[in-house]
Amino acid sequence: MNNIDLERYKTAWKEEKSFNKATLSDPEIRTYIMKRSKGLTASFKAGLLLDIILKIILGVSFIALIVLFGGKIGIAGICTGSLLILFYLLWSQIATYRKIPGQEGYSGDMKNFLSARIEFYRTKFLKTVYVIALTNPFVFLSGMLYYFYFKYGIIRPLDVVDIIIFGTLCIVGFALGAFVQVKQYNFQVNQLEECLREFQENDINEATIRRHKKQKRTILIIFIIALIVGLLLLGILLI
Amino acid sequence: MKKEIQIEEKFLEQIKRHQNIIHKICFIYSKNRPDREDLYQEIILQLWKSYPTFGQRSAFSTWMYRVALNTAISATKKFWFLSETELPDVGYEDENMSDMSEDIRILYNGISKLAKVEKAIILLWLESKSYEEIAETTGISVKNVSVKLVRIKSRLSEIIKKMQ
Repeated sequence: MNNIDLERYKTAWKEEKSFNKATLSDPEIRTYIMKRSKGLTASFKAGLLLDIILKIILGVSFIALIVLFGGKIGIAGICTGSLLILFYLLWSQIATYRKIPGQEGYSGDMKNFLSARIEFYRTKFLKTVYVIALTNPFVFLSGMLYYFYFKYGIIRPLDVVDIIIFGTLCIVGFALGAFVQVKQYNFQVNQLEECLREFQENDINEATIRRHKKQKRTILIIFIIALIVGLLLLGILLI
Repeated sequence: MKKEIQIEEKFLEQIKRHQNIIHKICFIYSKNRPDREDLYQEIILQLWKSYPTFGQRSAFSTWMYRVALNTAISATKKFWFLSETELPDVGYEDENMSDMSEDIRILYNGISKLAKVEKAIILLWLESKSYEEIAETTGISVKNVSVKLVRIKSRLSEIIKKMQ
């Protein structure tokens, strides 16, 4: 059945002249090394950096709101609370950014290279994905306060219906952000996992996968609880 | 400053001397010319960034295979919402292929049907690397390399046979 002579192709491979053509000049190589990476690590880093910048801008906007509303107790409470949460999230994002695997793994063997990266993305980096999604409710909150200030100059006490509507919008903002972020994150990390499975003779490390899934569930639940508690506090402050 | 220039000069010299390795890896892992150029650029960039980790313990070419293959296998499709609009894999269609022998075209089209790790193993075999060297580069045992190679070669033979 298997009568194809692969040695013939191996010989053709060795004798193929086009591979040995010197096509790169010094300036071309220099241009390549000056360019930005388009790899997975670089794209995760860029996304994280963008979120860090957005959170800093949001922090500044909340400080401006405290000044604009002249230190009105309720608004000052909301803005200070938001600032503290943003500060914590920012600190966590910066810590993750610094932990993103560097170049050292690239010269290691392929299996370890993939394992180390997947382990990082599935554990330490996962929290970041939800933290990025959490930026949306803060954008909404800040935008809402600015709207009220410029439209009415004050924020009238909110009733329960207002709180439910604003709370729902915050949750929808988070959920949409989380959906897109998680989908994109899974899409890319799954490709690496698929590759790693090839090394492991299709013997997937079930314990690791279970651990990652459990961790994913726990992080999601913590974020949802934190979001709901945050919204309840916001409601209490605004009523 | 002078030292940095010397390091860069040395790097450029080694890349030029071993650029056939990058050509081969990009050839195996790309479907078309734009893909190949992107991978080419990414490999050289990662080689440059990783250059400080090259400790002279192994030959430059061995180190280069590792960095280049790690870059190639970790290159992922970019966006989930675009993945469904991608064209089906129809084999290698490139004007550069016209310079190549018929055997190389057949071999490429066969290899293009293999999975990423299989491509790496068969590439190292085509490069006449020993089982030990393949094991060291991929991170699997020598025994596993021999088992995998038998399977991959058998699969590749079947694919080529079907194409003929």
